[in-house]
Amino acid sequence: MTALRTRSVALATLAIGAGLLVLLAVLSLSIGKTYIAPGAVLDALFKPDPLNIDHILVNTTRLSRMTVAIAVGACLAVAGGLMQAVTRNPLASPGLFGINAGAVFSIVLLAPLFGSTSLTQFMVLAFAGAAVAGTLVYCIGMLGSRSPFRIVLAGAAVTALFASFTQALLVISQEGLDSILFWMAGSVAGREMDAVLTIYPYLLIGFAASLVLARHINILVTGDDIARGLGQNTFVIRSLLSIIVILLAGGAVSLAGNIGFIGLIVPHIVRRILPGDFRWLLPGYAVFGALLLLLADIVARVVLIPQEVPIGVVTALLGAPFFIHMARKGMRNG
Amino acid sequence: MDKWLTVRNNWYSRQINTSTCTTIAILLLITLTVALLSLSSGKYMLSLPEVIDALRSQTIADNAFIVSILRAPRMLMALLAGGALAVSGLLLQTIIRNPLASPDIIGVTSGASATAVFFLSFMTSWLSVQWLPLAAMAGGFAGAALVYLLAWKSGVSPTRLILVGVGISAVMVACTTMLLVFSPLSSTLSAYVWLTGSVYGARWHDVTTLCLWLLPAAILLVALARTLAVNELDDTLIIGLGISMERARLALLALSVYLAGAAIAYTGALGFVGLVAPHIARRIGGKSGTSLIIVTMLVGANMVMIADLIGRTQFLPLDLPAGIFVSAIGAPFFIYLLLRARS
Amino acid sequence: MNALSQLWTRQTASYPGRVRTTVLEAARAGSAGWRSCRMRIWFLLSVLACTNAIAAPFTVQHALGVTTIPDTPERVITLFQGATDITVALGVKPLATVESWTEKPVYRYLRKDLEGVPMVGLETQPSLEDIARLKPDLIIASKFRNEKIYDLLSYIAPTVAVDEVYQFRENTRLIGQALNRQSQAQVLLDKWDARLAQTKRRLQDKFGAAWPLSVSILDFRSDHVRIYLANSFAGSVLADLGFVWSEPFRKSGWPLMKLTSKESIPVMDADVFFVQMRSDSRVVQNRYEDWSRHLLWQQLAAVRNKQVYQVDNVYWSLAGGILSANLMLDELEQLLGSPAGLQK
Repeated sequence: MTALRTRSVALATLAIGAGLLVLLAVLSLSIGKTYIAPGAVLDALFKPDPLNIDHILVNTTRLSRMTVAIAVGACLAVAGGLMQAVTRNPLASPGLFGINAGAVFSIVLLAPLFGSTSLTQFMVLAFAGAAVAGTLVYCIGMLGSRSPFRIVLAGAAVTALFASFTQALLVISQEGLDSILFWMAGSVAGREMDAVLTIYPYLLIGFAASLVLARHINILVTGDDIARGLGQNTFVIRSLLSIIVILLAGGAVSLAGNIGFIGLIVPHIVRRILPGDFRWLLPGYAVFGALLLLLADIVARVVLIPQEVPIGVVTALLGAPFFIHMARKGMRNG
Repeated sequence: MDKWLTVRNNWYSRQINTSTCTTIAILLLITLTVALLSLSSGKYMLSLPEVIDALRSQTIADNAFIVSILRAPRMLMALLAGGALAVSGLLLQTIIRNPLASPDIIGVTSGASATAVFFLSFMTSWLSVQWLPLAAMAGGFAGAALVYLLAWKSGVSPTRLILVGVGISAVMVACTTMLLVFSPLSSTLSAYVWLTGSVYGARWHDVTTLCLWLLPAAILLVALARTLAVNELDDTLIIGLGISMERARLALLALSVYLAGAAIAYTGALGFVGLVAPHIARRIGGKSGTSLIIVTMLVGANMVMIADLIGRTQFLPLDLPAGIFVSAIGAPFFIYLLLRARS
Repeated sequence: MNALSQLWTRQTASYPGRVRTTVLEAARAGSAGWRSCRMRIWFLLSVLACTNAIAAPFTVQHALGVTTIPDTPERVITLFQGATDITVALGVKPLATVESWTEKPVYRYLRKDLEGVPMVGLETQPSLEDIARLKPDLIIASKFRNEKIYDLLSYIAPTVAVDEVYQFRENTRLIGQALNRQSQAQVLLDKWDARLAQTKRRLQDKFGAAWPLSVSILDFRSDHVRIYLANSFAGSVLADLGFVWSEPFRKSGWPLMKLTSKESIPVMDADVFFVQMRSDSRVVQNRYEDWSRHLLWQQLAAVRNKQVYQVDNVYWSLAGGILSANLMLDELEQLLGSPAGLQK
């Protein structure tokens, strides 16, 4: 009886979340410097008129923004949730794996060297950097003792390392800093649709893989001893999960730069409203992560018209009070 | 087995570990060497006799200027700030009982950074830049106070402290980023260098002021050294020993914030020293209590001095901020330690 | 006679070596002809008075206080771009300067004048050891960048600091004073004012009723676009010429505004665009091409009337001195004069 009830409650929550997501998506297409009525938005999506400015806006700038926000939000949240499960540390977030630092460093270092021009190339570089940093952290953290603390320590060390190299490059090339500041602060604007579409498949693969492993994650979070007692090869599962985290988070960072808080707090929020089964949690992470980032993007656009607040700033300002409130109430481990 | 030396007097009794003594002596020697190296290195290398001459000379000509007015304050500032940050990190890691704790977590660094960037972006047309250290210190204290207040709920548990600290730090970092992004043209790079951590342009006046700030802290530290050792024990043991846990924690926390705030105010956000130095100190043989504090302090001081030395001499004609090398060298060393200690 | 010799010693003690020798020789030569003691005294007093006027120490009041400069400086180190420009304009070859922002280490337009001049590091962090070793007579700094090291610089040599680096007129006056070349500075400024007036008249004649035109000064970077307002270097020149800015920027006190989203393109609208960007960066070029293909951009007034002009980054914002201001005006006049240039 309780299992069925839990199941229907979870389903309902997810449905509500998805509904809100669609609503916010349409809202994000209407709000901006010029308000476009939702009716016109739907027109633009399904019966586009190439000469209508509003339709152009919706189909180019705003649509790409919305898809990027959804993709990045979902990826960051899922990556964060997975990390908290793997390291059994409620403070884990993709930034901790050195991913953000690695991506930023590779862009600052290699973009001028390769003369990178298009955004897709930027993204490839960012992803490569993220992957290198993530792999480094993984190797240092997972070899030898299997204590989850080591990964966190390794992550801090690698982040500091890459951050220091980035600082060195930016301090030397003074013009470079002014040009990369907005990207570093996080932004979902200005990505072309085809760039987004190139990266979407990888993100979907990552998400699907995590869903497939959901049952194994359930066992993993009960504790190493119990998991091994049940016959699970914790090392393999952890490694696979780490690869998925690097894929998702690396993709997210390469699309949108440094966006902080989503991977940290969305899992905490979702764990309160959905049952602890990862088969429910993972879709929940994705839906609510996308929701939060869309909301943040709308706020970022509206607050300081015509300038835009970097989205990383908004997520921190929105997310931190929530986080502190939860900290005072007491947190549940992932 | 360790060899212990007993010092006993009518009013003073202490046991001193000889191996720790050796470690401290070696560290002091290293510190002296690095200091002399700092004074003699630079774009224009000076030999040791020249350095000593310059230090003794009465006038401010040539070498004397470079050694006494340019290099010496810089070296001393690095030493003081490094030592203060390292001890601050040690205190925090002991209280919070989390090896990842550092002044960044409890809002000192982020509070000071936000205030400093605000100052550099908007206030320099009204206030002289001499007020920057004070502003940064105030911001650091305010950040830490905010964290403590928000974490207080009939007592402060270490976990809650970290969590609230992470939250507040994130907010401050967000504000700092926003200020950086929207600041007028010329201040972005100066603010960024401040955030990286640098001892460029240190003057004797700054060094003496920092000394004065750190003096009361040092005295308090000596008094609280034993409490530090006790704090490493379990909560129940501490209460069993009859020590007021809350008050001891608060005192050590306040001291840690004070040390970090003072150091960061003068050198900028020199991250990583507070995180890494205590770990290194423990690995090279510091035992708990006073000796650990001394070893940590020396390790931190040397880290920053060596970082500044490298930044100043290896990339001529550029003068790179010390903060870069603190991380660039501290991080691999830390990773090496992680790899070596497989337990 | 004793009092006089004391006065003499005191006065000449502050003169640098060679001036003192010259004065002594002159005094000796002159007073040799006068037999009477009283005449000698008068002669020496008048020599003192004259030399006071020529080689006396003078004080300059600047953004960080008051500095006394013992003699006309000859070995000058400049610590920001505008200072290098203005010092060269006043006819003095600096002893050393700081590196330029682009076209390193020295901007192309200054390369001939600065041949053989060493660098003392970056504008944001000059190397104090290098400056000390060069033994300058005068250091020209800026309040914003060098306030922190002002004391250290003052140890090395008398240091004069300007208030805002982009206010090149005020800076020319101040640097002229510090170099003891006030008259040359005044000549430069008078010439500039005359030029401004002339160009302003040409603009008014050309556009008649359509004047004043609104302008947007755009700077494309790899991740955002900047609009320079009236409080910036280029902005102040254009404002003096009579150009205005569009409505939201008219009263703003900020020097610039940063835009990241293509949706904000309409904000930039004006009658004329002056676009600058780093020519060596492909990423920046791509961004410009990308933005200029957008429909919103095509709809802007300046774009429709084909009044978008690419201008030199160095003259319009990076150099910040009176020579580069003149070069900026050259570029503007060229646009005015050419047939494809500024239309009604």
